[in-house]
Amino acid sequence: MTMVKTRNGGRDTAGTSSAIVVNGLSKDFEGLVAVDNLNLRIGRGVLYGMIGPNGSGKTTAIKMLVGLLRPSAGEAHLLGERVPVRKATSRVGYMPQDMAIYTELTVHENLELFAGLYSMDRKGAGKRELELLKMIDMDERRDSLVSQLSGGMRHRVSLACALIHDPELVFLDEPTVGVDPELRSGFWKYFSDLKGRGKTIVMTTHYMDEAVRCDIVGMMRAGKLIAEGPPAELMKMAGVQDLESAFLGFARRSDA
Amino acid sequence: MNLGRVLSIARKNLRVLKHDRRTVGFIVLMPLLMITIFGYAFGGEVQDIKVHIVDLDSAPSNESISARVISSIQSRDTLRIVALLDESAQQDGGDPVATSTGQVEDAEIWATIVFDVNFTADVTSRLSSGYGAPVPVQVIVDGTNPNIVQAIVVDLQKSIAAVLAGMGAVPVVTISVDYVYGEGASFIDFFAPGVMSLAAMLVTFMLSIVSFVRERGTATMDRLLTTPVTESEIVVGHAISYGLVALMQSIVIILTAVLLFQVQIVGNVLLVLFTIFLLGLGMLGVGMLLSSFARSEFQAVQFMPIILFPSILLAGVFWPIEAIPEFLRPVSYFIPMTYAVAGCRSVMIRGWGIGDVWMEITILALFACVTLASSTYGLKRRR
Repeated sequence: MTMVKTRNGGRDTAGTSSAIVVNGLSKDFEGLVAVDNLNLRIGRGVLYGMIGPNGSGKTTAIKMLVGLLRPSAGEAHLLGERVPVRKATSRVGYMPQDMAIYTELTVHENLELFAGLYSMDRKGAGKRELELLKMIDMDERRDSLVSQLSGGMRHRVSLACALIHDPELVFLDEPTVGVDPELRSGFWKYFSDLKGRGKTIVMTTHYMDEAVRCDIVGMMRAGKLIAEGPPAELMKMAGVQDLESAFLGFARRSDA
Repeated sequence: MNLGRVLSIARKNLRVLKHDRRTVGFIVLMPLLMITIFGYAFGGEVQDIKVHIVDLDSAPSNESISARVISSIQSRDTLRIVALLDESAQQDGGDPVATSTGQVEDAEIWATIVFDVNFTADVTSRLSSGYGAPVPVQVIVDGTNPNIVQAIVVDLQKSIAAVLAGMGAVPVVTISVDYVYGEGASFIDFFAPGVMSLAAMLVTFMLSIVSFVRERGTATMDRLLTTPVTESEIVVGHAISYGLVALMQSIVIILTAVLLFQVQIVGNVLLVLFTIFLLGLGMLGVGMLLSSFARSEFQAVQFMPIILFPSILLAGVFWPIEAIPEFLRPVSYFIPMTYAVAGCRSVMIRGWGIGDVWMEITILALFACVTLASSTYGLKRRR
């Protein structure tokens, strides 16, 4: 694997000051290896982007980290707690790829449900809801049923549900799919705000122009991390001008 | 267990229903329709059965006993005499019994009742001498529907008994019935507890299985499990919300039964509601458990008849468990419905209290605990 030494990665080993520490994490589904000996160390306040083709194991890796799938081997720590943990769940947010919000409820009712599940007080939840609705530009659709919203709008509501409790660490599985470019830049502004407040964000994306804006990019292929580092350095190492070519370069190298 | 999170889940379920008017309509109207249809269909007696009477009795009409029996039949609604044939029909060349039997064969009428030529004479001599063979009345009947045969025979016996009593004939043996419970109870009083339990069972099972299948299909269940909410909190949240729905539905049914059909409730209504609530909780658990075997809402609905039919047929809803063949009876005792129906019936008709139906209540409570606990375990195992 190609590793580029970074400000945040690889410094501590105890897993206390890192947001995420993953050691030898693997998952096989009846012989099909989805994630193969994954090692990660993601520092706090880092915006980490996972890229890689469909089926490269990004979603499976995230599902193991949030406790939805039991790893076949290896272990992981989130915010110093071993996965799967109950203690850390209130500090972790997760936006799944399939939107997973209640289409039979209104936008507000969805947000209120998740606020309740994170035991937020009514006042704080209301304030937070307003802030998030502004960010996703849906404050006027607060009382619309989700089933009446477009796909892109549902995605935005799903993102808001993942962020309602102001988590320290948030996993976003393709948060910007189906979101128009203007709103997408709004999202990115919000992500950098979060980062500025010391929050850690792990996201998967198919858009290379988004990946470039991450602090660290992890390239996944066939369940393995084939390269990791700041985008500029990855491109420099591969001797190319864009991340896509860099990915293809590392992919060829990993085959060789 | 965190009450706030439990209530969040319960509120979510109720809100989903609030936005789904059609389902709410179904929950309220389905049992209303059930009790009304059952009430009118089963509540009344059999009426207007078409029959022919062939009266060949040769006694003069002012002395004829058969004529008196016929007028007694006419005084009630059970039998409708389409045609009354006598010996004059015979003189026209046709045999009235054969003609009338032809009508039975053509299914135009249900039966032909034949009084013989010597009917009055035979009855009179039998009464005065005090001994001799019984005097027959012939009934030629289409036995397709045993209920109808029964109704014809009973009505005929009633008429004959009334006429003979009027002639001073004293029956040798009479039966005197003293009611311990249920004096004046009609059939609807008997099956109202069953309909209430059925409706509660259907609605809780349907709501929980469809809701769980949907949560799995849309991955909202996965998402819930990444929040601090625990599996048992999810299960209890469902139990509270859908249990509440079942309770409200039972109240609607009880009101309908009492106001529209004058069903009697001798015991404590709250105990009846509690019994049904326990059954509802248990069925919620069954729904949640079976949801993991259904991949779609469509498949979930397919479980309905499997659950429904044994409960309708073997749990003593419409006919007693004693009417079920002995080899099937053990099955009845494994159906929770049996205990809900028996418990509600004892409270509603016998006026029993908690001390008398404690066994039914205990069995239902155990059933609810076991199914709810196993569905919690089922959710945990998925991780």
